[in-house]
Formats: sequence, C-alpha cells, structure tokens
Amino acid sequence: MRLRTRTAYAFLTPYLLVFLTFWIWPIANSFWLSFLNTRSANWTFNPRMTWGRLLVDPAFANALWNTLLILVIQVPVMIALATVLAVLLNSPILKARGLFRFAFFAPVVVGEVAYAAMFRLLFNEFGIINKLLVATGLASIPWLSDPNAAMAVIIIALTWRWAGYNAIIILAGLQSIPEDVYEAATLDGVSKVRQFFYITLPLLKPVIVLCVVISVIGTMQLFSEPFLITNRGGPGQATETLGLFLYRQGFGAFNFGYASAIAYTITALAVAISLLNLWLGKERE
Amino acid sequence: MAAVSLNNVVKKFGTMSVVHGASLEVADGEFVVFVGPSGCGKSTLLRMIAGLEDISAGEIVIGGRVVNDVEPAERGIAMVFQSYALYPHMTVEQNLSFGLRMNGNDKADTQRRVSRAADILRISELMHRRPRQLSGGQRQRVAIGRAIVRNPQVFLFDEPLSNLDAELRVQMRVEIARLHKELGVTMIYVTHDQTEAMTLADKIVVLRAGNIEQIGRPLDLYDDPNNQFVAGFVGSPRMNFMAGTVVENSSSVVTVKLANQGGALLRKPLGGPLPAIGAAVVLGVRPEHFGLAGRGDSDITVKVDVAEHLGSTSYVYANAGGGEELVIEREESRHEASLDRMTVSLRATHTYLFDSAGLRLR
Amino acid sequence: MRSKSSAERRRGIALHAALFPLALIWLFPLWMMFVFSTLPENGIFSRDIILTPSDQFVENFNLLESDTGFIRATTISILVAAAYTFLSVALTSMAGWSLACYRFAGKGVVLATILGTLTLPYFVVVIPQFIMVARDFGLHNTLFALIVPPLFNSLGVLFMRQTFSMMPHELFDAARVEGVKEWRIFLFIGLPLARPAVAALSIILFLHSWNNYLWPLLINSKPAMMTAPVALGSLIGLTKVSWGGIMTGAVMLTAPMLVLFVALQRHFVAGISAGAVK
Repeated sequence: MRLRTRTAYAFLTPYLLVFLTFWIWPIANSFWLSFLNTRSANWTFNPRMTWGRLLVDPAFANALWNTLLILVIQVPVMIALATVLAVLLNSPILKARGLFRFAFFAPVVVGEVAYAAMFRLLFNEFGIINKLLVATGLASIPWLSDPNAAMAVIIIALTWRWAGYNAIIILAGLQSIPEDVYEAATLDGVSKVRQFFYITLPLLKPVIVLCVVISVIGTMQLFSEPFLITNRGGPGQATETLGLFLYRQGFGAFNFGYASAIAYTITALAVAISLLNLWLGKERE
Repeated sequence: MAAVSLNNVVKKFGTMSVVHGASLEVADGEFVVFVGPSGCGKSTLLRMIAGLEDISAGEIVIGGRVVNDVEPAERGIAMVFQSYALYPHMTVEQNLSFGLRMNGNDKADTQRRVSRAADILRISELMHRRPRQLSGGQRQRVAIGRAIVRNPQVFLFDEPLSNLDAELRVQMRVEIARLHKELGVTMIYVTHDQTEAMTLADKIVVLRAGNIEQIGRPLDLYDDPNNQFVAGFVGSPRMNFMAGTVVENSSSVVTVKLANQGGALLRKPLGGPLPAIGAAVVLGVRPEHFGLAGRGDSDITVKVDVAEHLGSTSYVYANAGGGEELVIEREESRHEASLDRMTVSLRATHTYLFDSAGLRLR
Repeated sequence: MRSKSSAERRRGIALHAALFPLALIWLFPLWMMFVFSTLPENGIFSRDIILTPSDQFVENFNLLESDTGFIRATTISILVAAAYTFLSVALTSMAGWSLACYRFAGKGVVLATILGTLTLPYFVVVIPQFIMVARDFGLHNTLFALIVPPLFNSLGVLFMRQTFSMMPHELFDAARVEGVKEWRIFLFIGLPLARPAVAALSIILFLHSWNNYLWPLLINSKPAMMTAPVALGSLIGLTKVSWGGIMTGAVMLTAPMLVLFVALQRHFVAGISAGAVK
C-alpha cells in the first residue's frame, strides 16, 4: 500500500471532527465537570459537592439499588428467554417461521415512547391486563401504584422490548455452528436436550457473553421506561434508576457537576460489570 | 515503448526490509519474468514499478524518466492482476472503458480503443456480460484487455495465470506470448512457476528473500547458474544435489568424494580458485545428465524406489542411501523398472559444483 | 424409521405448542396498541374486555393533533432521520474507507480510540453536549441540534471499515493504475460493492434516529421544534389528554417501521447482528 496520507486524512476528517467534538471532548469535559460545583454562579472546583455528595445522598443509593435490582433480575431472565427463543426459531421443523420471527423481532423496531405509552395503558389500574386478570378469576393488581408491581412492569416491558433483539444476535451465533457437529452427536446417540447443554450452549458462550454485556450497558442507562411508564420513577422513587436520577439532577435541577459525577459512576459501573462478564466468559474456556 | 531500469531499489515495511537493493535493466520491448518462491519480494517489486507501493530507497526509471514520485497512471504502465480485479458490478465493456471514462477521454476514441482490445483478445461477443458470467479464461482476457486499452508502454503481469487450471494455463501462456509479439511492448511478468518463466521470458530475474540471485536468458540460467538456489529453481524435474568433500586439489582439478554414493570419486576441472582439501561441497547433476554405466567419468550405484514411464522418457526415483533422493531421466529404459538397483555414470563437464555457501565453483 | 418420524412429529407439536402462546403474548401489546387507537375514549377504559378494533382512528388522531402538533412533529422527525441517515452513512463510510484502504500516521490511535470508547454509555457525554450545543452555540431548538451531534456514532465506521477491508484490494489498485482518482474509486467501486452493507447500516441508523428520545427531549423542548417521539412523550402523564390520540401517535410511529421491518427483514437482521458482533 502506498502512503497516501493526504487522501486518507481527507476521507477521515469530516467524521473525525464530529467524533472529537461530540464524543471525545465531552467524555473528557464531563470528567472535569464532575469535580465542579455548578450550583454557584461561577463554577468552582469542589468535588465535595459532587463525588462527596454521591457517597451520602440517599436518593443516589436508592437509584443505584433499583438499577442493580433490575439488572440482576431482568438481564438473566431475558438472556435465557432469548437463548431458548433463538434455538426454537432455528429449529428446522418449525412451520410459519416468518410469522414467529415477526412476533418476537418486531419489538426491536418499536420506539421507546410508543411502547412506553402502550405499557402504561396496558398496566393501568383499569387497564386490559387487570381486566383479563379479573376475568380469569384472579385479583387485579395496582400495577403502577405498588412499588414492587411497578418494578415488575418495568422488567416485563424491558423483556418484551429486548428479548427479540438478543435472540437475533444469538440466532446469528447459532447459525455459525457447523451442522456436522450435531450430526456427529446424533450418530453418537446424544439426545437433543443434551446436545443443547453440551454442544450448543458452550459454543454460544461468547455470543451470550456479548449479549449480557450489551444488556448491562443498556440497563445502566435505563431512562425512558421509568420516565414514561411509571411516571418519573414512581410510585414515589420506587422505580427511579440511575439514568432517571441523572436526568433529574442534570436537566431538572441543572446541577451539571453532580449529574456528571453520576454519569461517570454509571460509566464506571458499566465498564466494570462488562469487564467482569468478559473475564468470567474467558475463565471457563 | 520504454525501457525500465531499477537502481538499488529498496522496500521497507517499518523496520522490516523486503527488497534489499535491486538493480536491473529491462530493454525496450523485452519480456522479463521475475521468478522466485512466494515471499521473495517479486510482487512487491512489480507493485513498486506500478507505483502501488512506495519506494523506500533507490530509483525506478521508466522511459528515461525517474518515476519514484509519479502517480501510477502517469507512468505509462498497465497491470494485470492475479485475481483479474474485474469490477464485479460492471459489464465487460464498462470494465474496459472505466479508466478512460473516469479520465474524461474522448468518447469515440474510448469506443475505438475498447473494440480494438476486444478484437485482439477475441472477446467482442462478451461485451455485455458481467464478470461472474465469464469463465476463468475469459476473465483473464478481459483483464488483459483492460490493460491493452490504456496503450501502455510497459505491461505488468502479477501472477496472471495462477488461478487457471493446468490446460488453460498453457493456452493463455501461448496467448500472452502471441500478444507480446503482436504489440512489441515491454512486459514485466511475475510468477512462481519456473516453467512459465522459461517459456515466456527473453530474460529471467530470479529472486530470493528480497535479493536478485541471477539475471539472464532462460537457457543461460539453465546451463550456467550462479548458485545452488538458481540451479535448483530453474529446471523441472529439478537438479539433483549430492553432498561431498574435496579430497584433492591440484593443477585446476579437484577431486570430490561423494558422501552417500559409496564414496564415489569425481575429478572435475575448474577454471577459478580451487577449494581447500577437506572443504564441504555440493555436486549438482541434472536428471538428464546421468549416463549409462561406464560411459562417464565416475559411476554410482543407487537403489530404485519408483520408476515413472512417460512414453518417450522415464524418470527413475532413486535413493542413494544417505537420504538424498535422486531423479534420473532415462530414454529407452523400460526394462530398468524391474531393477532393484542401477548404476549410472557422471560426466564431469555435465556437473555443477557449489561451495558450502551455495556459490558456484567454476 | 417409522418410530423416528413419529418422534419427530411429537417434537414438532411440542415446539409449536411452546412457541405459539408465547408469540401471541408478544404480539398482544402491538395488537392492543392498534385496537386502542381505534376505540373511542370510553372504550379504552370501559369495563368490557375489548380485543377487536373499532372505527375511531381518524377522530382519535384529530384529538392528538389538537393536543400537540403531531403532523409537524412527524415532518421534523422524517427530515431529521433522513438527513441524519444520509450524513452518517456518508461520514462513516468515508472514515471506514480511509481506515480500511490507507496507511497513515495516527491510524492506530484513531482505531484504538474508537474501539476503546465504543461501549461507553451515552450518559457520559450528554451533559457536556447539552452545555455546548444549548449554551455555548445557542443552537437548541434547531434542526442542526437534532441532526449533527448524534453523528458521532462510531459503529458505522467499524462496520464500513470491515466491509471495505474484506473486498479484494486489487480492484482498487487496478483503478489506481488506470489513473482513477481516489474519491472516484471510493464512489464508483468501493461504495457500489458495499451496497448490502450500506443498506443495512442505513436502516439501522434511520431507525435509531426515528426512535431517538433523550437527546431530542433535552435539546429541542420548544413545542414547535419537537420530534414526534418527544411530542408524543410530552402528553404521557398529563391529565385531560386523549389516550386514544396517544395510541394513534404510537401507531404512526411504529407502523412504518414495522412495514420496513417486514420488507427489509434481512437487512435489519444483518445490521443488528453486525452491530453487535463487530
């Protein structure tokens, strides 16, 4: 390859300008902001007002707890479901494959606002879900006014929205497993269920770890669902997540310094949990 | 028409040197073949002549002009690539005319040049097909056609036949030779196949590990190689090598004792300085230069492994004991197939002697 | 052989018995979104269980349009998504081309920076972005604010770089020898050959922009400059708002994407799995 430095830069520069201006510089700037007291007229260096406050703010602890709770319950359930869905959808004996794929993959294209509005209506006190519960002889549940039920709604909504997305990725992973591995196992008399646990799952592990990492990063940034479905993290602050807390500090109270410290906490947690996942994924190989 | 010369051309990727100072003259209208094993730097050298790679040091002159900093398109060259590099989304006609169209060439002239190239290569019926609808040989013709359209002073070929099957390869080889004769322009051709080199070239450049080992006409290289590498690379089946030691040297004659052929002795006259007694040497003998027993200067006896009979000739694969596999070409030797052992003779004038560094002792 | 095929049939029945109810549950919210958008207001909150559509879609949409200028908001959304998609494909494919086809000083640094920051959460930049665009540039409530800052997204760069580096580079060399300028090689050879990748990337980018919520919510809060999701979101939680109207908005946001998804499922799937597998 000949050195064509000038051409190379000409092609790269337009993107690079946007990348530096709206991504790299803000990443650095946000770190600096997280040390500033932005509540005074002149922003002054005062980490006690930001990082110091994080340590003692019960609202932050609550948001952190809620976020981790969602993460611990929702991500494993969704990934397990997505894996099963992918395997079932990949089955050669499946009829009406296109229809089934549409059912599970369609939520991928549905926007946050549209689906949040929908779930809010479905799980309304007088909504269709409660009507169906009552019709089948069960008690109606105050979905959006009970803290635990509200959390459940968030988890159900997230799972509906993202299970198909993960199934698409896992399905791509499945399709890269060579068929002859299964043929060999069948000749060896290994049952289909055992093939799943001893062949499919181990070979899928890198893809599943990837899905977990993507989901963890997404969950750490959870915002629209509690903002719209449970009405700004309600009831009370029962479903307030780190993302929502950041939004309220940054764009409700315009406390940019504190919000930046929250942003960096989210980032650090997301990176740490992803690295842990990657490490666990490697460990057993 | 143009001559090409390379003066001490060096190519480095980072700190790794790939071509270590190649110098070479290509006369106007000459057909020169760069040949060598993969990784010898022959393709890099060609791409440097094309202007697709930077020149780290030295200079390249095409048609009397130093082209080190000249863009590929301005060098008066055209190149045919190993993968043909046909644009898959264009028809044959569009492929042929693409470069001219992109450079704003006159439409009528473009049309004229394209149909001339199509005529020369007999691809006029294929003009509206896409590359994937063509056979390997047809793609090859289109790729050459694209080069012809440019009216280049120098044609560069980068292993153009390596993707074809054996039969087509022979056919296209003849085609390229015909083209050279017809167009009369300078051609530089890279291949790892010594048969292509021998059959096509006016001049062969043998490369190894970034160095030019020898430059010469095909038969000169065959008859008079400068070193063991060239001797082994040129010729098929390849030259046999037998290890030996010098046991006597006097008055322009050395006596070599072969290590694995029952200690056979061969006296060989040399023109140059003689190797010391006890020096390790290698004796090279081409398969066709083994004679009948007793008819040469020295006899050796070998164990026959396999004999291949091709009709007019036979190749005997023999084992000389110490691990050296020998290939012996015989005419009228069908009866020897059944033999377990056979004795052949060596003739000093039809052997080559190399020192332990592989350099020829003449 | 017979016993094996009957075992296969049993497996098939079990498979469909498991998937079918699950698929119904999954389709239920989308179906109800559509049903609600056609019901009169008292139908949504009536005591009866209504699972089939009625005929009030237009009336509901008129209610939505009077609650918030949804047609204008949708126009803005379409404009923004189209411009964003075009610009992003242009920028990222040029950058991907540069990183795939040339050697130059700083290439390693650029690649490492992109890869190293790829998975950082968006929240880490949202505050400085907001301060810069709204306060320093004073460009809030503009189309610029909606279109340009989100162009930083680097997945496209990696995707296009991957696409271009898998092409045989002799194609580009052949054009170079013919004197074709680099930008024409990119435009007439590289890009046409990358068409499937460009299609997948465009779809994902369009979807991303169309559904984008947080940034437009922050930066364009003036009702006249809201995107459709922001306008719709602004109604959620208000009293005295028509839920039927909100559902028509949800349907109008969702239906075009569903149609695209059905028509171009292959590209969607390629885009999502490529985006994830990097």
